[in-house]
Amino acid sequence: MTATAPDTANLPAGTGREFIAEVTASEPEMGDCTLLTLALPAGVAPRLRPGEFVNVLCRDSASFDPLLRRPYSAFAVNPDPVAGTMTLLIRPFGRGSQWLATRQPGERIDIMGPLGNHFEVAERSERLLMVAGGVGVAPLAHLTQEALRIGKSVTFLMGAATADTLLAAQRLPSEVEYVVATDDGSRGHRGFVTDLVPDYLQWADQVFACGPDPMLRSLSNVIKRDRVGRRPTVHVSVERTMACGVGACLGCVLETRHGMQTSCVTGPVFPVEEIRW
Amino acid sequence: MADLSVDLAPGNPRELVLSNPVIAASGCFGYGQEYQGTIDIHRLGAFVSKGITPEPRSGNPMPRITETTGGMLNAIGLQNPGIRKFIRSYPPIWERWPTPAIVNISGETVAEFAEMARLLDDVPGVAGLEVNISCPNINAGGFCFGWDADMSREVTAAVRAATTLPIIVKLSPGALDVAQIALAVEEGGADAVSLINTLVGMKIDTRRRKPVLANGTGGLSGPAIRPVAVRMTWQVARVVGIPVVGLGGIMSLDDGLEFFMAGASAIQVGTGFFAQPGRMVAIADELDAWLDAQGCSSLGEIVGAALPDGLPPRRQRIDPDDLKLMSGDYAEARTTTT
Repeated sequence: MTATAPDTANLPAGTGREFIAEVTASEPEMGDCTLLTLALPAGVAPRLRPGEFVNVLCRDSASFDPLLRRPYSAFAVNPDPVAGTMTLLIRPFGRGSQWLATRQPGERIDIMGPLGNHFEVAERSERLLMVAGGVGVAPLAHLTQEALRIGKSVTFLMGAATADTLLAAQRLPSEVEYVVATDDGSRGHRGFVTDLVPDYLQWADQVFACGPDPMLRSLSNVIKRDRVGRRPTVHVSVERTMACGVGACLGCVLETRHGMQTSCVTGPVFPVEEIRW
Repeated sequence: MADLSVDLAPGNPRELVLSNPVIAASGCFGYGQEYQGTIDIHRLGAFVSKGITPEPRSGNPMPRITETTGGMLNAIGLQNPGIRKFIRSYPPIWERWPTPAIVNISGETVAEFAEMARLLDDVPGVAGLEVNISCPNINAGGFCFGWDADMSREVTAAVRAATTLPIIVKLSPGALDVAQIALAVEEGGADAVSLINTLVGMKIDTRRRKPVLANGTGGLSGPAIRPVAVRMTWQVARVVGIPVVGLGGIMSLDDGLEFFMAGASAIQVGTGFFAQPGRMVAIADELDAWLDAQGCSSLGEIVGAALPDGLPPRRQRIDPDDLKLMSGDYAEARTTTT
């Protein structure tokens, strides 16, 4: 791990929601993924709520490739008003994410945000269930951090292809119950993470999920099939290709009970029952 | 401080005066408020709303956008609340803004365009119309208005007859001879033309063996299309007597200068807003500094600088009483040259 002290004082002020952040640390996680920590200009970190996202320009200033920004939800946030940082979890599968995953401490990155809505923990909810698929773990890790801070209990379910692409247990606070599933059975339950959900529906007051669409659809079906009287509310964070990130282009919509809604402004977090899969 | 102001409807008593020539393009700027909090909208010369249709539209299925080399394809499908709800929702907000708001209208028949123009004619907060003639004409087998000079003239004249608002007609790059279309819409009563709309493209997902976009085809925008847009701007600016607004892949001041030198009196920025909104609103300031450094006292000094014979003479101001009389035979009524 490489780390330098966050130095936000000399970062140029952004234009409204657009700002420059400096890479302070980069470390491998979840197999080929990278955890990239960025020093944020004063005042940004305390505003970043779990589930919100930032739109990251993934190219050098002299290049237009790739053209569009890439949305990332924070994996962790240090909300210090002056020396605040944000950590992103990056899986390198396209040109943008490959560029971002290879940034080094000291490099500066153009970011827009925070954008979108966020996960809301109801005051009377005591027990929270997180259901994560792959890099969908990021906003739920941030939410867990916040939930524990306000005294909630968290059970964290995670699914991945293999044991070495699971989030390392020590990345989550020790008071969290961490239960995993892998496609190949190399650790935990062999099968889908959503197979684990029914066991916790009695326990949980609220469920929060993020992962690929098939996982979220499967979660939706699991909840519907559950015949128990008491059903927790379920909120899911969806991932869509985005252009503007501010609701202007209507490129990232999804079909809901209320018609086509933007995942960048109305979302990315939706009550699961509102989505038409 | 050079003079950056521009009147995009010099022939129209209602005028369309912009404090600077940088306009946010239709479809990329929502209805204006979306970018509040991200940029200072009032640094823009004007903005153009998302395309409005007579009835509400839910748009195309997903995926609607995909990135390509130096550009993006979109097939949003004109998702919008319809003209009536639109009029109730947005112009009352714009009325309080100093930045002129231009409404982009998209119809499937000449009558639809005319009806929307009529409804918008005296709506406070609406500074002008941009007529999207890249739409299919359902009375002509889906052939785009903007590909045919007669259809382009007819739809422009119908809009002209329905409103005295400044009219910018947005030209389609799909036309065989874009200069001819520009002349036709000038004849039809357009106060200005803007070009280019997106180029129709397609990207195929080779793994799924299917187009990426649910709609199949989409409109290509971004830096990849800029040379085509500059060329078409140059071709149009050489022949028309009305202001030309150039757009297509502008990401920086230098990109914008190409359009001004090709004869554009103003520019629109679209896809660039998605990537770097802060940089886009800075273009006007950079232009100001650039003109100072070049010793130019106004933007007009460089407009058309790359045209072999400069800009053609401007059309004279039209008598307000004539404005609503114009129709197909507008050509006879118009006054030419100074």
